Amino acid sequence: MTGDTQQADFLVGRSCRRVDGVEKVTGDIRYGADLFPAQADLHARVVRSEHAHADIVGIDASEALNVKGVCGVYTHADIRGTNLHGLIRRDHRVLCDSRVRYRGDAIALVVGESEEAAERGRDLVHVKYSPLDVIATMDEAMADGAVEIHPGGNVMGDKRIRKGDVEKALAEAHVVVSDTFNTQTVDHAFLDLEAGTGHWDGQTLTLRAAGQWVHEERRLIALALGMPLEQVRVIQPPTGGAFGGREDISIQIYLGLAALQHPGKTVGLRYSREESMRARHKRHALRINFTLAADKEGTLTAARVIVHSDEGAYASTGIAVMRKASSHATGPYKIPNVDVDVYGVHTNNNPTGAMRGFGAAQMAISYEGMMDRLADALEMDRMELRLRNLVRPGDQVTTGQRLNDATAVECLEAVLNRYRDYPQATSETLPPNLRRGCGVSVICFGLGYGDGFPDASRARVHLEPDGTFTVYTGGVEMGQGLLNTMSQIAGHELGQPLERMKIIAADTMLTDESGSSSATRQTYFTGNAVRTAASELNEKIKDVAGEQLEVHPHEITVRAAWAVETNKPENRVSLSDVYDHGLKRGYDMIGRGIFKPRTIPEISDSGQSPRAFITYLFGAHLSQVLVDIETGEIRVERHIAAHDVGKAVNPQSVEGQICGGVAQGIGMALMEEVVYDKGRITNPSFTDYIIPTIKDVPTIEPIIVERDDPGGPFGAHGVGEPPLIGAVPAVLSAIYDATGVPVDRLPVTPERMWRLLNEAGAGSIRE
Amino acid sequence: MSADANKMLIKCKVNGQSVSCEIPVECTLLTFLREYLSLTGTKGACLEGECGSCTVLVNGKQVNSCLMLAGQVQGCEVLTVEGLADSDGRLDVLQERFLDAGAAQCGYCTPGLLMSARAFLKDNPKAGREELLTALEGNICRCTGYASIVEAVEKALAEVRT
Repeated sequence: MTGDTQQADFLVGRSCRRVDGVEKVTGDIRYGADLFPAQADLHARVVRSEHAHADIVGIDASEALNVKGVCGVYTHADIRGTNLHGLIRRDHRVLCDSRVRYRGDAIALVVGESEEAAERGRDLVHVKYSPLDVIATMDEAMADGAVEIHPGGNVMGDKRIRKGDVEKALAEAHVVVSDTFNTQTVDHAFLDLEAGTGHWDGQTLTLRAAGQWVHEERRLIALALGMPLEQVRVIQPPTGGAFGGREDISIQIYLGLAALQHPGKTVGLRYSREESMRARHKRHALRINFTLAADKEGTLTAARVIVHSDEGAYASTGIAVMRKASSHATGPYKIPNVDVDVYGVHTNNNPTGAMRGFGAAQMAISYEGMMDRLADALEMDRMELRLRNLVRPGDQVTTGQRLNDATAVECLEAVLNRYRDYPQATSETLPPNLRRGCGVSVICFGLGYGDGFPDASRARVHLEPDGTFTVYTGGVEMGQGLLNTMSQIAGHELGQPLERMKIIAADTMLTDESGSSSATRQTYFTGNAVRTAASELNEKIKDVAGEQLEVHPHEITVRAAWAVETNKPENRVSLSDVYDHGLKRGYDMIGRGIFKPRTIPEISDSGQSPRAFITYLFGAHLSQVLVDIETGEIRVERHIAAHDVGKAVNPQSVEGQICGGVAQGIGMALMEEVVYDKGRITNPSFTDYIIPTIKDVPTIEPIIVERDDPGGPFGAHGVGEPPLIGAVPAVLSAIYDATGVPVDRLPVTPERMWRLLNEAGAGSIRE
Repeated sequence: MSADANKMLIKCKVNGQSVSCEIPVECTLLTFLREYLSLTGTKGACLEGECGSCTVLVNGKQVNSCLMLAGQVQGCEVLTVEGLADSDGRLDVLQERFLDAGAAQCGYCTPGLLMSARAFLKDNPKAGREELLTALEGNICRCTGYASIVEAVEKALAEVRT
């Protein structure tokens, strides 16, 4: 980095240390579970269903209430509001009244003077059930005569794309390939278990619990509990990961109910790992039937994609995930004729909802898998097939949106160049049981909610009396680096070093709504709002300082603690003086910004929209694996990931997102799976739910591709989800390359790989 | 000795300070640190010894504090993340390199990783990459993909060597 970029006014593009870094390495930071017992007077525990599907016949709390230290047992009858939550459809009861639909469903809340008392009480609340048929799979759910999990049938919705004439194109194609992919249920497995506190002082219900969208959580809490919105305050404590797993409501409404029942007391609630995994929504398991056709030269002519999505017991964000799956069904490839049908199917498994990649991740596994199969059928190079069909500037994606900028090819070239230019020493001769293979993936991702859904961010930047600055944003920091991104954008705009910037985020009383930390949207959306706010404040400062310095505002530069006359730096006034003078002049010395771009809903019959998403991101991965054909073990030796992020506001933090997404992708490809037995999760612990360790992940090589996005702050767009989306298909493609065996079911555990190899006659047994 | 058979008096050193405290006999070291000493820097995430978030050093050796009873550290020296910086608040070399490398993202695994790395640095200053990975294998990180963590610990290792 050159000396120039160390200047205060070049914060954008600098790998500054994290503003919350010191408290994270000293242990001083206080996550939800660190707020008590020091602060909690009472403790709550949730009674959950022992059945995956049953009618509730009766709830007997008498024995629990006799436990020493138990202060109350509450059921649906104690809730004054709607008792419902759900981000899109309010279909999920906070405490079930007459029916449970999965084994994590909540039935009662026990409050005790200690955690031990609350837990003893929880175990002694006797619920009488009348069991119903458990719908364990999508096929059972769609079978004739299947019991309905919700009124109206078990298919909760469908989403389609109709483009061109697929029937005709398939009939005329030179090659047609088909396969069915089964992706698995995945848990977010963030380390920081759900934990927080609630307090009702008769005026305000204050909840400290980690979510991903504090303002929407406040709405849901207020509705469910029958409270006026302005009496509910949600504060996000520092948060140890989320990955979509905190988008649905978790402990917030329970804490609110317990606090309302015990005015003046602070109530704490925390989950164990088992409860966290039993209660929370998961990533959708999809069954994807994919048919892909091409002409003789390898130009894609048609795709027919039929997706069934296990939605579990409640809607969660399922409809939106289905929409993202349909709009991303064919990824970054130009295909003139496309039919896509996505069906969401209720089962008595955990609800499925948001997780990094949000439907687009599963689809990338199928379209990239199909590109490899098609290349083999055409006897064509896999890279050549991709390069021939990738969208380029001016081309349309499947939804009909024309992209002015499309960097799929640049990203693919970036990983191929890295692989070629930086060869790693690899053993020339492998032992007979090992096979080495290489695979690539190219992916695209529509940023933001899209599809006409209201999507906005707001921010304020305050000049403080001491001449420093504070950024206020409703956006949630959960580890991704939002605090730095926003501080650096505001500081850059205001000519400040990072040390003079403070940031307050995600407190419904202090900050304005900035939408969720999801959909890879915060850098683009809140980044724009923060930049606008900082720019407005900059103008105010120059206006006031101009009077003080007796020059025109445009002749003034704000730099660190001073407003200076640009061409005569000795003529200057301190920002604290500017603040005082501004207040005297009737200014509030606050800048405000709103960013609310419009997307256009997809036409429901065809899925077409000229602007379904505000902007598209591209990425490409290259993975190299070693497969042991005797044991089925797979090791990722090398993984390169290139992502167009527009502009990296903090390159180190962007690389961190890329590497972290790849590691989660390796987990999804090779080891992670939530296993159900008739609706019961059989592996709700880190002993049995396997997450990649430092030895399962190679030293990932991130490549930042920068192509200014004209709509983003300083050209930035975002990076959160695409790295995971690209990682999984690249690993699967490498396995296919190494073994000659295509993979259609995830995760590729050693056992599954071994069976596939032996079924294909490629394993050691037949040799 | 405690009068209550279910309680015990524990005496040990935590981060250099002598501690004497009456605790339930079944109290884990993790609970003792977090709830009796208010040292909440040490985290519990799986509570069955799989993720390493609760790693602390007992007489210099890394242990999962969620699996150890507090009674087992009777008379021992315990070091937690709060004891890494010196009394003036000057950060330890590992903490500095974690900050430089961006190795703390959500930060929840950070205390445990710092303690595992600290034990490794002290015992194996000459070790290579593979031994380092083995030493950190018991600490799960869900955010970073580990690249920045390896970078941070290797840089600290290089500094300790010189």
